[in-house]
Amino acid sequence: MSETSRFTEDILTAANEKARTIIKESESEAQQALDQAKTRSAREAEEILNNARAEAEAEKRRQISEIRQRLKLQEQLEKSKIVTEVLDQSKKRVMDLVKDEKRYLPYLTSLIANSIREIGLDAVTVHLNNHDLNMVKVAELEREIKKLVGKSVKIELSGEPIPALGGIIVSSTDGKTRIINTLDQRFEALEPRLLIEAGKILFD
Amino acid sequence: MSGIETVKVIVEAEKEAAKILADAQTRAGEIRKRLDSLIEKERDETIQTARKKAAALIADAQSEAAIEGQVFEKDAQSKMREALERASERRGEAVEKLVAKLVELGA
Repeated sequence: MSETSRFTEDILTAANEKARTIIKESESEAQQALDQAKTRSAREAEEILNNARAEAEAEKRRQISEIRQRLKLQEQLEKSKIVTEVLDQSKKRVMDLVKDEKRYLPYLTSLIANSIREIGLDAVTVHLNNHDLNMVKVAELEREIKKLVGKSVKIELSGEPIPALGGIIVSSTDGKTRIINTLDQRFEALEPRLLIEAGKILFD
Repeated sequence: MSGIETVKVIVEAEKEAAKILADAQTRAGEIRKRLDSLIEKERDETIQTARKKAAALIADAQSEAAIEGQVFEKDAQSKMREALERASERRGEAVEKLVAKLVELGA
């Protein structure tokens, strides 16, 4: 082989070598870039799945929570209905007592005696509703009160009926001091406590 | 071989070498170009698969939640019915106690 041929062959060999290196490097860079891209995609995919898992859990919790809320509300309504019915029934029973003169009159007398003890006066005015005004006799009342309170108390019945379902108002004769013991007032004042009491008895 | 011929042969060889290198550069460029679309395709496939799995996960969770919800609701309804039945049985006692409180003289 001539010197020239060797020289040209060296040039071509070097060129081929360089070309292989260029292509090899390019392929290697490409492979590396592809691997990195795959890693990024895999991370991105994992993030999508993690988000979906979180969303799925949240969805489950949301649905259960909705059902829980709905049932709680339904339960509260049902309980409230029963408690209200019990309270109404209790009021009705008290009103049945009012209609039964044999039981109501002694009760009314005791109520008046208690109010007289509380007001601490020797002369009082007793205010009753129209029905009770027709039922109560002052003389009999004063006798019973004397037995219950242990002293004579001058009782005057107010001629003006009070707008109440039953019960009494006892006042000083000048009307400045009053003890209100009407059934209406008792229903109103006791209602919050009675609702709690009924709830405890019914549901505890 | 004369000196001129020798130079010509060398120039030709260098031209060929330059072409070899240019071809190699062109191929390297093509590899890079293909790489971009390959990466894009690979990413699309991976993400698409992940999205399908994600949608399936959520759908499964929804049906699981519906089933769990039904079980929970049935259980809770049953407990509530029992509580309400017990309450109904205690109504009489509750009314008695409330009436006693309403007519209690010290109240």
